[in-house]
Amino acid sequence: MENLVHTVQENKIDMTKIIKYILLAVIICFSIYNSVYIESLTERKKEQKSTAFNAKDFAENFMISEVKKSPAIQASNFFTGIFSKDLKKYCVLRGKSLGISDDYNFVIQGNATVIAVEDENVLVTLDANKNQTIRIATDFIFGNTIRDATGIANIGDFQNTMDFNNISIELNNIVRERVVPPFKEKVKEGDHLYFKGAIKINIKHPDFESLKVTPLIINFK
Amino acid sequence: MSMTQNWSQTPMKICEFHIPIKNKYYLHMNNFFNSSVTRKVLLLFTLLTLLSCNNKKEEAPKKIAIVISTLNNPWFVVLGESAAKRAKELGYETTIFDSQNNTSKEAEHFENLIAAGYSAILFNPTDSEGSISNVKRAKEAGIPTFSMDREINSLDGPVSQVLSDNFSGCVELGEYFVKKLNKKGKYVELLGIVGDNNTWVRSKGFHSVVDHFPDLKMVSQQSADFDRSKAMEVLESIIQSNPDIDAVFCGNDAMAMGAYQALVSARKEKQVMVFGFDGSDDVMNAIADKKILATVRQSPVQIAITAADLADQYLKGKKDLNKKTPLSVSLVTQENIGEFGTYGSRK
Repeated sequence: MENLVHTVQENKIDMTKIIKYILLAVIICFSIYNSVYIESLTERKKEQKSTAFNAKDFAENFMISEVKKSPAIQASNFFTGIFSKDLKKYCVLRGKSLGISDDYNFVIQGNATVIAVEDENVLVTLDANKNQTIRIATDFIFGNTIRDATGIANIGDFQNTMDFNNISIELNNIVRERVVPPFKEKVKEGDHLYFKGAIKINIKHPDFESLKVTPLIINFK
Repeated sequence: MSMTQNWSQTPMKICEFHIPIKNKYYLHMNNFFNSSVTRKVLLLFTLLTLLSCNNKKEEAPKKIAIVISTLNNPWFVVLGESAAKRAKELGYETTIFDSQNNTSKEAEHFENLIAAGYSAILFNPTDSEGSISNVKRAKEAGIPTFSMDREINSLDGPVSQVLSDNFSGCVELGEYFVKKLNKKGKYVELLGIVGDNNTWVRSKGFHSVVDHFPDLKMVSQQSADFDRSKAMEVLESIIQSNPDIDAVFCGNDAMAMGAYQALVSARKEKQVMVFGFDGSDDVMNAIADKKILATVRQSPVQIAITAADLADQYLKGKKDLNKKTPLSVSLVTQENIGEFGTYGSRK
């Protein structure tokens, strides 16, 4: 009789244990189910791509819709300004710089006549002042001059500075692939043209001989 | 004996105590707090206490913590010491912490300096992603952080980030590299720490130029963690399988010195051009001695001073600071080395 009571009691204890384990398993499964989410990697990547900054689209949009109306200084006035008594004052007033820098960037435009076609540049003389010459770059289109001269982006808006720099890479790619080739193909001495482009000058060590315009627009007349 | 406390409904009464005595009688204390003389005395006492506390706070100089990624590199030693010097000039007590390029060590420093009640942190991070949580923890504790030189990928963590314009520097270096190699040849790239944004910004700036010249072939690209000894080992191994390289581009000057040593050991130092980044003393001297071709000089002194000034302005109430302040850098070559001092500004 005593044995039977023991067996019944043991069975009861076993049942209670089983119920406890089942409950514990249910709670663990419930917690795991609510803690772990599985989603398709393709969809996740798509979502990340759609929220990530697209420098190519940004640059494309600028070159298609904004570049024509982008404000520019007449090239002859730019020369008058940089050869004035106070280069720094002129650059601070009319140019744009990034952060703490001695480099100032400008967008300039003008009508000019081609006087020489060089390996990496085209040398032109300004129609407004025949004594003023400037080089339009046809090679070595690199750096941030276009981005910083036009002021189309603010570094403080970018979590990763590389996104900000990618704008320059894409702008330069567009100029290298679409602006320069038709110009380089047709240009010859004596051609009359309109140009709009970006230019950089260092106020501490100005190198007036090496000034060159990175072209944004070139139209033959 | 029990005590009950009732807050008075009448505005004039500050509070009213009823102390029951043997459950029968109550000692009413409201008269004590209602007495106008007592109230005035109490008010004066409170004001004096508060004023004395404020005075004590103002008397003790505020503390600024300077957390540096590694003090194993002379460039970062200059960065940390310049930040401390400037902060002291501005009236702060300073302590420099060395994270030893280890994010967990950096986290420990943040725990300690939050507990120690620093007013601000001038911070040179170890990792652009891994350091974000430390900065956010400091922000939650009310301590503003100002990043120096290395960027973290967060706009809402640090108050401001003072960075060298690494991209522009490497574009300029890339153009010089292309011209020196006459647009053709084989080269090696030694990268810095893979988790650091500067590593990739420099590399991308360089490649944004060099990759447009198809006759320039990169035969190997490996990380040497911005470390001189590691760079030497890595390049020694690379030149065994690529003995005909023409140039080595290094993501910092420490690696450039290591690469140069490896070339000396292999007796190739005269035929292989080495390019660095930083403008450190030894590389500036090596450029003057025509051993290394070029570097990009960034000024740790200027970065440190700018960050300390921004922290001071912020602590004094100027809250509308730029999120990022890039500082321009200069290309230093064998042709223009005479124009420069080390680490400081251009002559």
